[in-house]
Amino acid sequence: MNVIHVRQGRDIKLAGPARQEIHDTGIPDRVAIQPPDFPGLRLRLLVREDDQVKVGTPLFEDKTNPKIKIVSPASGRVSAINRGEKRALLEVVVEADGSQQALARQRYSADEVSRLSREDLVEALLEGGFWPCIRQRPFSNVAHPSDVPKSIFVQAINTEPLALDVDVVLRDRQEEFQFGLDVLRKLTKGDVHVCFSSQAQAKALTEAKNVKTHGVEGPHPAGNVSTLVHFIDPINKGDIVWYLRAEDVLRIAPLLLEGTFSPEKYAAVTGEGAQNRVYKKTIIGAPILYLLEKQNLAGYRCISGSVLAGKNVGANGFLCFYDSQVTVIPEGGKREFLGWLSLGFNKYSFSRTFLSSVTGQKEISLDADRHGDHRAIVLNHIYDDYVPLDIPVYFLLRAVIAGDIEEAEKLGILECDEEDFALCTFACPSKTDVGGIIRNGLQLIEREG
Amino acid sequence: MQLLEKQLKKIGALFQPGRPLNKFYPLFEAMDTFAFTPGKTAAKAPHVRDAVDIKRVMILVVVALMPCIFMGIYNAGYQIELAKGMAHSFWGCVASGAIKVVPIVIVAYAAGGFWEVLFAVIRKHEINEGFLVTGILYALTLPPSIPLWQVAVGISFGVVIGKEIFGGTGFNILNPALTARAFVFFAYPAQMSGDNVWIAVDGFTRATPLSVVAAADKGGSAIMALQDAGYTFKEMFLGFIPGSIGETSTLACLLGLAFLLITRVASWRIVAGCALGLTGMSAFLTLFQGPDALAFFSLPPHWHMIMGGFAFGSIFMATDPVSSSATNIGRWIYGIMIGLLIVLIRMVNPAYPEGTMLAILFMNVFAPLIDHFVVEGKIKKRLARRNAPKAG
Repeated sequence: MNVIHVRQGRDIKLAGPARQEIHDTGIPDRVAIQPPDFPGLRLRLLVREDDQVKVGTPLFEDKTNPKIKIVSPASGRVSAINRGEKRALLEVVVEADGSQQALARQRYSADEVSRLSREDLVEALLEGGFWPCIRQRPFSNVAHPSDVPKSIFVQAINTEPLALDVDVVLRDRQEEFQFGLDVLRKLTKGDVHVCFSSQAQAKALTEAKNVKTHGVEGPHPAGNVSTLVHFIDPINKGDIVWYLRAEDVLRIAPLLLEGTFSPEKYAAVTGEGAQNRVYKKTIIGAPILYLLEKQNLAGYRCISGSVLAGKNVGANGFLCFYDSQVTVIPEGGKREFLGWLSLGFNKYSFSRTFLSSVTGQKEISLDADRHGDHRAIVLNHIYDDYVPLDIPVYFLLRAVIAGDIEEAEKLGILECDEEDFALCTFACPSKTDVGGIIRNGLQLIEREG
Repeated sequence: MQLLEKQLKKIGALFQPGRPLNKFYPLFEAMDTFAFTPGKTAAKAPHVRDAVDIKRVMILVVVALMPCIFMGIYNAGYQIELAKGMAHSFWGCVASGAIKVVPIVIVAYAAGGFWEVLFAVIRKHEINEGFLVTGILYALTLPPSIPLWQVAVGISFGVVIGKEIFGGTGFNILNPALTARAFVFFAYPAQMSGDNVWIAVDGFTRATPLSVVAAADKGGSAIMALQDAGYTFKEMFLGFIPGSIGETSTLACLLGLAFLLITRVASWRIVAGCALGLTGMSAFLTLFQGPDALAFFSLPPHWHMIMGGFAFGSIFMATDPVSSSATNIGRWIYGIMIGLLIVLIRMVNPAYPEGTMLAILFMNVFAPLIDHFVVEGKIKKRLARRNAPKAG
């Protein structure tokens, strides 16, 4: 095992961690697939309202590459197709009947799988609806099946605040996990890199075979894909790597061996606003209220994902496709008299500008208050402390704002994703949306390049 | 408090789009957020934000300047009473100092604030709290005897030409406060330099330590010359000497530095670089002392540090994050070069006894170039990684 030490970054020890016990909550009464979860895909709807679907029935296909399909995680009836501005698809809601009847696909024996060619494997993963679990860098889109990546990263670590520890999920799942890794092995000419916390205990991880294992140490964003790629097998212009979450590797075995799509999903219920904070086993697209057990959520913000990178989906929203966490924090937004004069015993800041940095805080309770208005960037030295990618962040921002794609690429923008700069946005006293600027830059490069 | 909040909301309605006072929204925003935190929440990820904002940062810089402000007022008064031969009491010094200094500060803020608000309104951006720092910094670099109209002209030049024409806060190349001072320095040399401006008493002349040393006989001892003129190391360190309002007390500057470093508002690399550059260069030049050399060459580094504007400039001016280098290596080079240039201007250039202001402005101009090379280095490293054989 190779150990990676990450120095830059910072952990926010937010109040409201989940207990590491898995509660099986079964099948919710409805689930949703949300097209905005899949950047890079242009989705065509394949079902109509009131259609009956099974687990594994395709709901969407990609217009550019129709072999990429997104399938239903539940059996039942399509109850709503919700659209937004310009009729953009926002969500397809399936009313689950609870039977979880699955669409049967071709089954293989373990032996047959090991003899399948790369093309046949790709075909089977596409057909079975597994494909959207694999994403690629640069640009963090769903992987192109026609590409051959130089390596594949399995992300078995999540350093976001209060994130689900996948190590807990993978205990006793060694066999299925290893099967998935062996399949992934065939998709790349290079290595499969399995990255986990250096404290991980699951044998599925520590004893993974035929792959390269990496123990990761250090504060967030140590577990981000960009950080792992940067330290293990950095990409330059023209390179492609694929990545997927360790939980998703578990879907491969059922799909190939039993011929059914496995919609299982683990979600950590976290944040000081959530009452029963545990790990929940449910299915993809579960409603937030279901995970939170219908508690009263007035005055709270319900986030699918973490406070740093998640999406405010509201109490009536659904868990996003790639997320494995719900965070509930107070909405905040109260105005404070002469706040700039405050000694700040109870203010949380990375900076040393409040007395809390001397006295310390046991449990950090944060609401969604922005603590200030937008200003011009003045303190340009703080960003580099939170980005471990050896990128001069301030200069990258300037290049992107000026529309200088060439310079941005030279500085390493292709290695990054918006989420890598969440801590910069957090810490910026000018309240600059650093991640948003990076996203704009990436989108510009994607469009023009 | 709730009453005030309600009133502000009521007034604020007049500044909303479509209402008569919409143009002046930045002015309302500045007042409104002065009274209460904005109370706005994060629209999207990250959903939580650090408690610090620019207002807080700038206020802390002003807090760090408090020792200098107080010493500036006290010393201005002390020098006046000393010159008049009056028996000086503590409160007497504070009072006669305040009469001179407070109007300068008020005029600097009023004139600077006027331009800041005007540009914010015309260019439709927020009023940046940086002018709270620029105004006081500028005032502290002036001699206490300066005519008030010159204070206003200087800060106007500094804010408009030094900052706003480059696009406003965050985009300026030069430090606005120093640009303002440089303008007054070159435009009105009679009121900004020489021996009779540092003490606000008409017709009273006393050379500053720097000009004492500059005027000392060749081959003489600089320390002896200073002592003959009545300057001891202790007096100079504590700041009971003539000079610009805020610069005289090295002790007060060091207190400010301690505060800036504890709160991590200023870059320690720049300050350390300045000290290193000044020490290295002045120590090196002492090697050339001799009968034909200027007296300055006999002055050891720690005397250089307590003279003129070095402490004030390197702690409060050179560390301006916008006009200094924005890379860590760059900050070292930038700081060292400032220290080095200060010594060169002081000792080798006969025209100006002090070099802090010019050295910092000069390096402000070079900071982007330094950064360019540092960033190019990073880009080269990234490219080299591509061509290198893969490790492991």
